[in-house]
Amino acid sequence: MNRPFHGRTRTAAAVVAAVALGVLAGCSSSSSTTSASTATSAPASSSAASSPSSSSSASTVSTSSCGTKPGVAATGTPINIGAINTKQPGTDFSDIENMAGAYFACVNANGGINGHPIKFFPETEQTNPSQIAALAKQLVTTDHVVGMMGNSSIIECSVDAAYWKSVGIDVLGAGIDPECYSTPNTASVNMGPRYSSDGAVQYVLAQGASKIAFDQSNVPGTAYIAAGPNAVAKAKGVSIQDFTENVPITSANAIATKLVTAAGPSGAVVLNFTPPEALLILQAAQKLNLEDRVKYWACSTPCNTDFLATSLGPKWNGKLFVNAELTPLDGNTSATAQLFDAILKQYGSDVSGGVGSFSEMGFTIAEIGTHALESITGPYTIASVSAALEGVSNYNTGMLCQGYTYGSYSEHIPNNMDYTVTPDNGKFVEASTGGGCTLISASDPQIAAYRAIAGTAPMAS
Amino acid sequence: MPSWAEFQPYIVTGLALGGLYALSGVGLVVLYRATGVLNLAFGAVGAMGAFIAYSLIQAGDPGWVAWITCIVFGGVVTLGYGMVFGPALAGRGPLVQSISTLGLALVLFGVIDLAWPTTGGQSPSISFPTDNGGFSVGQLQVNWTQVIALALGVAITVGTAAFLRFSKLGTAMRAMANDREITATLGVPIRRVEAAAWLGCGLLAGIAGIMLADLSALDDTTLTFTVVISSLAAALIGQLRSIPVTFAAAIVIGLVHDLITPITQISNYQDMTPFVLAAIALLVMSRGQVLSRSREEG
Repeated sequence: MNRPFHGRTRTAAAVVAAVALGVLAGCSSSSSTTSASTATSAPASSSAASSPSSSSSASTVSTSSCGTKPGVAATGTPINIGAINTKQPGTDFSDIENMAGAYFACVNANGGINGHPIKFFPETEQTNPSQIAALAKQLVTTDHVVGMMGNSSIIECSVDAAYWKSVGIDVLGAGIDPECYSTPNTASVNMGPRYSSDGAVQYVLAQGASKIAFDQSNVPGTAYIAAGPNAVAKAKGVSIQDFTENVPITSANAIATKLVTAAGPSGAVVLNFTPPEALLILQAAQKLNLEDRVKYWACSTPCNTDFLATSLGPKWNGKLFVNAELTPLDGNTSATAQLFDAILKQYGSDVSGGVGSFSEMGFTIAEIGTHALESITGPYTIASVSAALEGVSNYNTGMLCQGYTYGSYSEHIPNNMDYTVTPDNGKFVEASTGGGCTLISASDPQIAAYRAIAGTAPMAS
Repeated sequence: MPSWAEFQPYIVTGLALGGLYALSGVGLVVLYRATGVLNLAFGAVGAMGAFIAYSLIQAGDPGWVAWITCIVFGGVVTLGYGMVFGPALAGRGPLVQSISTLGLALVLFGVIDLAWPTTGGQSPSISFPTDNGGFSVGQLQVNWTQVIALALGVAITVGTAAFLRFSKLGTAMRAMANDREITATLGVPIRRVEAAAWLGCGLLAGIAGIMLADLSALDDTTLTFTVVISSLAAALIGQLRSIPVTFAAAIVIGLVHDLITPITQISNYQDMTPFVLAAIALLVMSRGQVLSRSREEG
């Protein structure tokens, strides 16, 4: 029977509405949490937009150079290597292990490791600690991996650090959470959000910014990340104001206005967000004509993706500066860049993002891992692989500013020298002023502590 | 505490958001009054329309084609849902009717995630030509999109109020809100009136979706949930009945949300704004009801 919508019915509807508010908020906040974790910790984003490779047109390096016996497939006993990447809606780091897998496939097709093929076990997780812990145990006990090369996960380092130590496995990956840099059994090829933010702040300070507004997503761990940029700015006597935002961002216009007001006309806004969130703030600034109301805009590594440069347009050329942890590939004709292109083309069908920081990281991890495995003369065991990794010293990857050293240290920040790039008509190119390799300031106490035990690695040569 | 000058820019952004919350809230109230259904899929319909518009723009279609497609999509999907599920659920309580629209919201949400995955860190966005023009009021920068957002909120509110008061269809909707059964016995074509309400609500969802994709973000979570939470709170404050109160509440929610931004001590809690305001309003209103009932019983 139809009833009028007043009286008791409207009261019921109001209750439904109130409950719905809660339900929707719950959906909203759970979603936010997922994105938030991503935002804090995402390493450099891959650039799906940038499929054309830097140097393929002039490529003189073929995939045969990735192994010791060109064209001869490895047939010996396989060397089992594992990797764990986060892959979930909104957060997909799997291009890192996919590119590492492509590199290993190339190695296997060209002689392998002293005749042994690498059998790669790439796994994905959905930021579930029990799932991640189970995956690690499965890789070791069921798949019998002797090394972990290609890890990149929002929480894997913190979940598995104790386990890797207990079984003696040294991990080579692309780090995100603090434990990827502060534990003895994990070393990364990237700098992670804290040191990348250090680099971005350091750059704008070097260019003369008189005040910093540092903004990042509001998730656990932001205080740890902010401690780095704060130390760097304070060492220069420049005031810095920290902000955090709930993600996904719902009011980018207000945030952009707030940051510009805080930084002032001679200051700089520095962002540490995933590309979509950073782009929202930058586009909001553009819509409100705020981009010239501060001296500089800067970003940690995740902004280093061509689609962001394309989306922003030429107004940001030389205005936005992004920390880059690995060498810019656009226009790069080095042998390493050409090998990267050749492997991506021949073996990288699973690398959905194409050329980008994720695939660069996967390439670099596999390159260092292969170098370490090739140094082993006896059987391939957890102990021998870990020892080989720890023996990697000042290895020139062609992708990093410094030679790469794993070492036997209580903590690992082997990549602590960076580039700075700026948009140039839809691409990111090395900034013409001060954009080359620059050491991350030891004003960050974590960097100072690492250099105290490991020294300062020289420039790669 | 920030100075008055520091608050000023957020008045502009808050009014623009408030305008869009207002037109969304009005859409929810009109549909509720005519059909008794709280449309929790309002945001998801607008979100999907905005993503379709984005894809059309990426494919090279003119912007205006994409915007109209978004609005039409909102109308068609909401009308379709209303026509297919409305009659079947008409005899059920408000809880069932409303939760079934939440089902539609979650289906659309899933489809968006499937059709527009966020792999590779790509970020879709929509911009209007009006973003690049505007004017200054003192130190304040105002762009035309913000003006349009507020103007749409005002125009939709005034237009809807006039429509309900002066048009034949609007009168039928008001009659249905008062007593659906008697309205039917008077010969009002209930299904047709309901269809008009579903269509109108859907068109407003499309407008809100495309505008918020520009002013806020082309993000499925944001568009699906944030819009509905804020506009539902405004509609609740309007007791799911009063269009002027819903409008005023939406503007206040938008303003308070953005004006909190420079107050760094509480800015991370600004998303609570619709909850807090709705809770306060409901408490105040229920207190009045308790007092009047006490008087009646006394």
